[in-house]
Amino acid sequence: MTAATAQLLGRLALSWLAVVAAAFVLVRLMPSDPVEVFLAHVNVRSGPEIVAAYRAQWGLDEPLAAQFLHWLGGFVTFDWGVSFETGRPVAADFAARLPYSAAIGFGGMVLAVTGGFALGFFAAHRPGGLADALSRGLAVAGQALPAFAAGLVLLWVLGVQLRWIDVFGGGSVERVLLPTLLVAFFSLGPMSRLTRAGFAEVKRSPYYRTALAKGRSQAGALWHHGRAAGVLTLVAGLAPELAWIIGGTAVAEIVFGVPGVSERVVQAVNHRDYAILQPYIALVALWVALVLQGARILRRTLDPRLP
Amino acid sequence: MTSSHLSRRLAAAAIAAGALTASAASHAEDVTIGQTFLASGLDAAEGSNGWALVSHGIAEQLFRVSREGEVVANLAASATPNDDGTWTVELAPDRFFSDGAPVTAEAVAAALNRTGEANPSARATAGRLSFTAVDDDTLTVRTEHSTTILPSILAEWAFPVYRMEGDAPIYTGPFAVKSFQPGASIEMTPNAHYAGAEARPDVTLRRIADGQSLALAFASGEVDMAFNLPVETLSMLQTTGGRIVSFPVAYQYMMWMNTRTPALSDTRVRRAIDLAVSREDLVTAAQAGVPATGAFAESYPFAAGGSLSHDLDAAAALLDEAGWTLGEDGVRTRGGEPLELVLYAYPQRPDLVTFQPVIRAALAGIGIAVTTQVTESPGDVATSGEFDLFLWAQHTAPAGDPGLFLSLFFETGAARNYSGWSNAAYDSLIADLRAEGDPQARIDLARRAQEMIAAEAPVAFLVTPEWHVGLSPALAGYEPWGSDYYVIRPDLVTAR
Repeated sequence: MTAATAQLLGRLALSWLAVVAAAFVLVRLMPSDPVEVFLAHVNVRSGPEIVAAYRAQWGLDEPLAAQFLHWLGGFVTFDWGVSFETGRPVAADFAARLPYSAAIGFGGMVLAVTGGFALGFFAAHRPGGLADALSRGLAVAGQALPAFAAGLVLLWVLGVQLRWIDVFGGGSVERVLLPTLLVAFFSLGPMSRLTRAGFAEVKRSPYYRTALAKGRSQAGALWHHGRAAGVLTLVAGLAPELAWIIGGTAVAEIVFGVPGVSERVVQAVNHRDYAILQPYIALVALWVALVLQGARILRRTLDPRLP
Repeated sequence: MTSSHLSRRLAAAAIAAGALTASAASHAEDVTIGQTFLASGLDAAEGSNGWALVSHGIAEQLFRVSREGEVVANLAASATPNDDGTWTVELAPDRFFSDGAPVTAEAVAAALNRTGEANPSARATAGRLSFTAVDDDTLTVRTEHSTTILPSILAEWAFPVYRMEGDAPIYTGPFAVKSFQPGASIEMTPNAHYAGAEARPDVTLRRIADGQSLALAFASGEVDMAFNLPVETLSMLQTTGGRIVSFPVAYQYMMWMNTRTPALSDTRVRRAIDLAVSREDLVTAAQAGVPATGAFAESYPFAAGGSLSHDLDAAAALLDEAGWTLGEDGVRTRGGEPLELVLYAYPQRPDLVTFQPVIRAALAGIGIAVTTQVTESPGDVATSGEFDLFLWAQHTAPAGDPGLFLSLFFETGAARNYSGWSNAAYDSLIADLRAEGDPQARIDLARRAQEMIAAEAPVAFLVTPEWHVGLSPALAGYEPWGSDYYVIRPDLVTAR
């Protein structure tokens, strides 16, 4: 391992630790005590003895620092504890749900990236044309439409009116198809606009004009000289999107009844289920750090001039 | 094996054979039920699984709450108090786990002692309960704190009966689990050892967390029953076919009045507010429900009779009498201080937020200025006492007994006495209720308690809400009752 790699890993580990420590405190600063929320939810007489019993069972009776160290030790050894709300092991819960969220998140992103790249290319090729208008329309729709409402419309049209798909009772592919389309729909516009910007910059360059002067077609010249720039711009914009790929699927999972991680986290917020929230934040922090670093390396590889 | 065991095995075999024969002859149509909630796990000792497993028709307790709101024997035949403070519970004959094993006192004791050890909720009402098998059919129950209502405690969600087979619990309910996907679905098959199994369908219980999506799933025909549909979806569903059934639930809507604030410390002001609110208007605003008559839904035997008054003139007279005079701006003042109150609600119960402008308008009509606030943390605000009025939803008799709600929310210094109300006569009456074991006497005491609450109005009981269930023709005969505590019951059969 080189010194630079060790330094990079050390920096990543420290950043991650700082984020999870801050999150550990912030989660506990949320209004409402998890024991009170649970007891109110299940209609149980909440005397001090019962509250104390739950606090002890959930490890909330220890000092905050001890709770954090206890949790950290468990997290790195894959003992993530049990959910306050369900009593089920958190790691098993995540393992069962992660494939759904990953399929929806990555599937949606692959559709958005491939579709967005193609649309962005054609939008840059013919500014003001059909592809450009579609790209702009999708970007605006992605910002303006509530994802929840869009999901319900999708459900209504394809599931109720046309009955093309068993949204809730179908197989695994059927269950993730509409959520994936929903995620893709909301990312397609921004992806295409980013790609368009990369290609458009190339169109202003002398080497593009030179290629045209040599007799290449506009599309050929743009593709030949602009695709690296398009990819570079897309990667820069894609990294933050990828970082939130798991969290961003929450709406899709709730609307289409998919038992994914994000939907579980929404439940956990409502129940103040720290046992679910804390490892989720730790995983997202790790994922964000890795994706951003990976994107940086990729961009440097594509364009060594970048710092 | 004892003769009792032998006879039970034979009976189980007979029931199973009958069920299998009947099943082969005419298998009931499979159905899919959509709900917004699903058991998180299959072990009744963990979390609140016990509640969901009973609601799903998988597990049963020794006692249950009937459609009429009474605590009735279920896996037990009787529970009798002994002179030494213990109870003797006799088991009902010929009851079986879904694997055909008989329900014995030994199995019941092992399960409930395990739950009591693992789950603090099983220790909430009378402390730790210790179960000892006396013989195959008899248990002795020792409670940490004395109680006169053991049957009601054993009807609480924390006490399903089960038998551990390795790590897997086996239950006694009308349906047995075939497969379980946490957070998504449970596949269930009729318990062949439960009487009438041949008429029951295979059931897929599917969780669809969002109410709007649930309504669309019903409209698309993907579910045969959609339990607890949002009221705003009903008109859409009426055009797509299917039957919608509405039924009252025990999650009463009410409004706490903070008796620690200067204005609301006066009983006359609280009474005036109670009189000024039109329950009918609230029902209209929520598009469902019936005006509350007291702390409990009308289906309970201890519900208050009659109706709660709506009388603006009487309300105004009470405020006049309390020294709050009506100003030219329509707001009452006393000693230069305007009568202004803050009304809280929480979005987890959207009906309560809907009520806010209705109540604000009603109180403006008698000269009380109300500002409305919504909080995401109702428990924190209610416990802090930093409110004037607080709209609240509460299941007031989850185990078929009035004592829990009447003591936990109204006794002096009780954990959830959000209004801060204190009344020595009321506390004395609740002490009597706690000591009383006779059901009719408990009903009388509960009604008197509600009269005392109504007289001093630390709370205004508003509406008994209704929930809505969508039913396909396959389940046309199903009638919902019991809120979300007993959704799937032995009488869930498909229409012929």
